[in-house]
Amino acid sequence: MMKKLTVVLSSVLALSTLLAACGEKQGGDNTSAGAAKSGAGSSKIKLSIWHNFSGDDLRAKAVRAQIEKFKQANPEIELDAQAIPPDGYRQRLKTVAAANEMPDVFFTQSGTSIKEYYEGGLLQPITPLLDKYPDWKNNFFQGAFDPLSFDNKVYATPLSASATSLFFYNKSLFDKYNVKVPKTWDELMAAVKTFKDNNITPISLGNKAAWLAQSSILSSLANRVTGTEWFLKAAKQDGAKFTDPEFVQALTYFKSLADAGAFQQGFNSLDNTQMEQYFVQGKAAMMIDGAWALTNMAASGTKEQLDQVEVTVLPAIPGGKGDPNTISGGAGGGLALSKNVTGKKLDAALELIYTVSGPEGMQAIAESNSLVNYNVKIDPAKVTPLFYKAYTLTQNVKFTPVYDAVLSSAGAEAINNGLQELLIGGKPEDIAKKLQDAQAKSIGK
Amino acid sequence: MAAASRLRSFILVGLLPALLLYLIFVLVPIVWSAFYGFYEWKGIGAAKFLGLANYTEALRDPIFWKALKNNLIIVAASIFGQIPIALVLSLVLWKSSWFHRFVRSAVFMPMVLASVVIGIMWGYIYHPQIGIVNYVLDKAGLHSWIRDWLGDPKINMYAVCAPIIWANIGPYMILFIAAIQNISSEVEDAAKIDGAIGYKRLYLIVVPMIWDTIKVAIVLCISGSLKAFDLIYVMTGGGPAQSTELLATYMYNNTFNIFRYGYGSAVSTLIIVISMSLVLGSQLLMKRK
Repeated sequence: MMKKLTVVLSSVLALSTLLAACGEKQGGDNTSAGAAKSGAGSSKIKLSIWHNFSGDDLRAKAVRAQIEKFKQANPEIELDAQAIPPDGYRQRLKTVAAANEMPDVFFTQSGTSIKEYYEGGLLQPITPLLDKYPDWKNNFFQGAFDPLSFDNKVYATPLSASATSLFFYNKSLFDKYNVKVPKTWDELMAAVKTFKDNNITPISLGNKAAWLAQSSILSSLANRVTGTEWFLKAAKQDGAKFTDPEFVQALTYFKSLADAGAFQQGFNSLDNTQMEQYFVQGKAAMMIDGAWALTNMAASGTKEQLDQVEVTVLPAIPGGKGDPNTISGGAGGGLALSKNVTGKKLDAALELIYTVSGPEGMQAIAESNSLVNYNVKIDPAKVTPLFYKAYTLTQNVKFTPVYDAVLSSAGAEAINNGLQELLIGGKPEDIAKKLQDAQAKSIGK
Repeated sequence: MAAASRLRSFILVGLLPALLLYLIFVLVPIVWSAFYGFYEWKGIGAAKFLGLANYTEALRDPIFWKALKNNLIIVAASIFGQIPIALVLSLVLWKSSWFHRFVRSAVFMPMVLASVVIGIMWGYIYHPQIGIVNYVLDKAGLHSWIRDWLGDPKINMYAVCAPIIWANIGPYMILFIAAIQNISSEVEDAAKIDGAIGYKRLYLIVVPMIWDTIKVAIVLCISGSLKAFDLIYVMTGGGPAQSTELLATYMYNNTFNIFRYGYGSAVSTLIIVISMSLVLGSQLLMKRK
């Protein structure tokens, strides 16, 4: 009798743990699905937003403050705001996208990223909002909507601008060794040589994560050689190939920097924060990096160190087809709207997007030391001097596409790995071919 | 008779939950992932049936074979690094004095650290500018030995083996100590009388008596090394230029960076096949001995 009871009890226990494990999982799914579905029926509108402004930096705080403002102003709306750390954000979005449980409003990167959601039929355009506030719409820079539009319809407005290839240099080192700030490739190579001879690392680079050389250096350098038109064609595999001589030449230029010993020892095992610290501490004379470096350097450098830092554009390449007064970058990501949102909920969602990315939001983001694609008057007292320099620079240049925002994911991975190989002795032709093969295959050409 | 069958049914009922969990969370996903390997799927939109294309692509990709080679380097480093070191340490440290216990805990300590911590720590040890390895070499006058340990594709695969060995000695040492303590004292005494001391005792008594444990350790080494992911992912991410790519990082990058879920599934199925054949092969080899 006793034994039977034990058997029954233990099996009940085992089953209940099993059920509990399953039940918990279902419960978790239900809440997010429920938030998406149940809005229409109940009196209180339920709205969900996902974004990756989870950090402690000023920009993330500014965006979260705008979301909080919307919450305060609309007590009748039950807002479920999820701040998800940037690493893995895209993976999580993709997972819910696969299950068709997208949040109502969500942040997505421009270019390849938003295109995937568009092609998956998960988005609706935010045209009504742009029609409602024409002043707001017209204050965006020309072309700011391009990487966020499909079929002439805008699906998101950029929350911030990306500038991936700012050319930073250390003014006191340039003065000390009497080096001219390079305007052409030859001047750059001469500067590299002078610094090298004086045991100063010419250019700080940290390419462990592999995207940096591509996003910051190649995007601009290759554009100087090939021009934008060629690149967009090659990315579409329409009349141009990455094995074309102009792209191989661009890679050869890049390689010549490594061959001249322009980068510090071990650049393939340093990450971008380490490279930024190395530069701001005055151990390297130059650095080619994105606008994110402005905040990173401000966080780790002292005032004296930061005051030495100047910022300009990458030098011109002799005979290149691209405009030298450009920076790779353009519109960053923005808040996109799920296709499933309708009726009253749609109005609420659009209002939420406007609160975060409207004029007030743009002002707040710009004053958090972030570049925007929107006409704002910045009070120099409210931002760091280095940011103000970069901000003024970006007002006077044109933007060219960043490689990984245009290439397919597989193409971007191929060139990222290829550049690491190039800088440790790979052949430009081989790397061009790898990119060509990966890009052609992934877009089915 | 009745008691025996009741006992058996009790055992069955007791095993059932574990078996069910194992079926649902291990075997079913393996079969599913093999099945997903026949498709092309980006995570959004419809999946496209490809047949065996993903599998043949993986087998033709030189990076896949490089990753396998790198995995085999780790297998070799584990078997010929971890097991001998663990065996020596267990012979030295099997007593329970205060000092022995302290050293044992020190050897075991990396096991309780998160592998991300170990990865970051060794990342700093190998750091090209501020790393202690290069610092020591510099101070010792061995300038020509200074390397970019994790960035130079000629040596980085061997450099990452050091933390893998270091971090995983602990459990093998514990296994061996337990096995050595289980050798009956009669055998030890008899061996002593017959003159088996020192190295002789090791070869003739200890190793044969704990051979079964060593076999288990070798199988654990092989399967653990083929699963290796976390340390390498933190230290190098498989780079630079995929020089430290492992099967698992290759699978991860394809699945979650390029979003080729079908291809990633195919690669993980291949990993299972390779691991199974290696483990089975090693067992056959050791049986013959």
